[in-house]
Amino acid sequence: MVFKMARGPADPEVKAKVLEYLAKVQKAKSRDVAVAIGATKSDVDNAVKELTAEDLVEYLYITTTFICLKGKVQTPD
Amino acid sequence: MTEKKTPLLDELETGKWPSFVTEIKRAAVKSEAAGELLQVLERSYAERRGHWKHGGIVGVRGYGGGVIGRYVDEPQTYPHVAEFHTIRLLQPSGWFYNTKTLRTVCDIWEKHGSGLTNMHGSTGDIILLGCKTDQIQPIFDEFSEAGFDLGGSGSCLRTPNCCVGPGRCEHACYDTLEACYNVTNEFMDELHRPMWPYKSKIKFSGCANDCTSSIARSDCSVIGTWRDTLRIDQDAVKEYVANKFDIQEMVCDKCPTKCLSFNAETQELSVVGEDCTRCMHCINMMPKAIRAGKEKGATILIGGKSTIVQSAFMSWVIVPFMKMETEDDFEPFKDLMRRIWEWWDEHGKSRERIGETIYRLGMTKFLQGIEVEPVPQMVFRPRANPYVFWNQDDLDRSGTALDGSKL
Repeated sequence: MVFKMARGPADPEVKAKVLEYLAKVQKAKSRDVAVAIGATKSDVDNAVKELTAEDLVEYLYITTTFICLKGKVQTPD
Repeated sequence: MTEKKTPLLDELETGKWPSFVTEIKRAAVKSEAAGELLQVLERSYAERRGHWKHGGIVGVRGYGGGVIGRYVDEPQTYPHVAEFHTIRLLQPSGWFYNTKTLRTVCDIWEKHGSGLTNMHGSTGDIILLGCKTDQIQPIFDEFSEAGFDLGGSGSCLRTPNCCVGPGRCEHACYDTLEACYNVTNEFMDELHRPMWPYKSKIKFSGCANDCTSSIARSDCSVIGTWRDTLRIDQDAVKEYVANKFDIQEMVCDKCPTKCLSFNAETQELSVVGEDCTRCMHCINMMPKAIRAGKEKGATILIGGKSTIVQSAFMSWVIVPFMKMETEDDFEPFKDLMRRIWEWWDEHGKSRERIGETIYRLGMTKFLQGIEVEPVPQMVFRPRANPYVFWNQDDLDRSGTALDGSKL
């Protein structure tokens, strides 16, 4: 078993699927996104890395870190 | 700002020790946020409850860690600390700075934030306490210009930390400063982009004195050790005797495995190397006479943490000895960490630390998952039997059951 977070450019197809999935939910863990869209976790992590840099996705910390579409979730009261 | 009374906090300024209250009061001369912070804290002491909320969405573009959102629960009463976010900056290994760098940190922070710092936090980072949301990106940009980067927060690799190591300590069995720097640079994505069930920490200690408390406070402890025998300078031993140092009582009798013996007639100290657990007690007591062996490296342990889902854990040994001399020696460690994180990422529940996942699923499954062979050093706790068991496949292959009967 050799693990390494996918380096280099993310797969545009995975990025599109991540955005599509996040549009359907409030927030998600990247592992759940990977299961839902049928991609590997490392591919999703790489896609999320680019999507956050493009300001389309952001991280949300509520007891653990989730990802969500930019602006979709507000900091809870 | 009208000065308000803080009788409970004032008590914390009495006594002979430096007081954080005094420092916050000093900061309050320039910062209204620091002044309100005192009021919130005084009220918390009076009411015996906290008034802070943390989390949410705060950060800089492309990063998921390094900024911790903090909000007071009555923003109308305390408007200057309505947003009072914490920023973590990656610290230099061993906390070595020159004064110019420290002034740069403080100048940027006074310009954009409360001016309050915590040097350093329990993860080792430079902690900057209290800024507003609209200042986060400018703060990050200025610190980036000055050569700094954000540390870790959230469900990611937290900022790796190390003891001062060979920078100032003769006991260091490997270069903790280099190891920490090298590993931090390797895992920047894991540090800045939270992707795991929960946080994960690595701490590097140069010897078993464990000055970073890594065995209790990190998911992965890298503790310096040696695999040959203690080196004893018998002339220096005689000097200790001449100075009326009671070697038998202070060293031999307190050796946990009684591997040391002292001959009062010849004034010679000897060691049974295979019984030594490398605890550092004798070296600490007689540093001029006893040194670590020549074959130095590190022991890798996994699973330490404070109470969350389960109670507090100390780390377990998973690799008794790993060389840590050259840059190439760090590669097996990095590869091991990737395998550990992948297994945990696949099997861990949300908010479950790696030690808790191992506790829930068993060390056997963990070792199989990361492809590490069980060894006798993997004890559950000191002086307890190993709890790594043969699995059914091993028994089937051997054809013999544990009680000796044929399968």
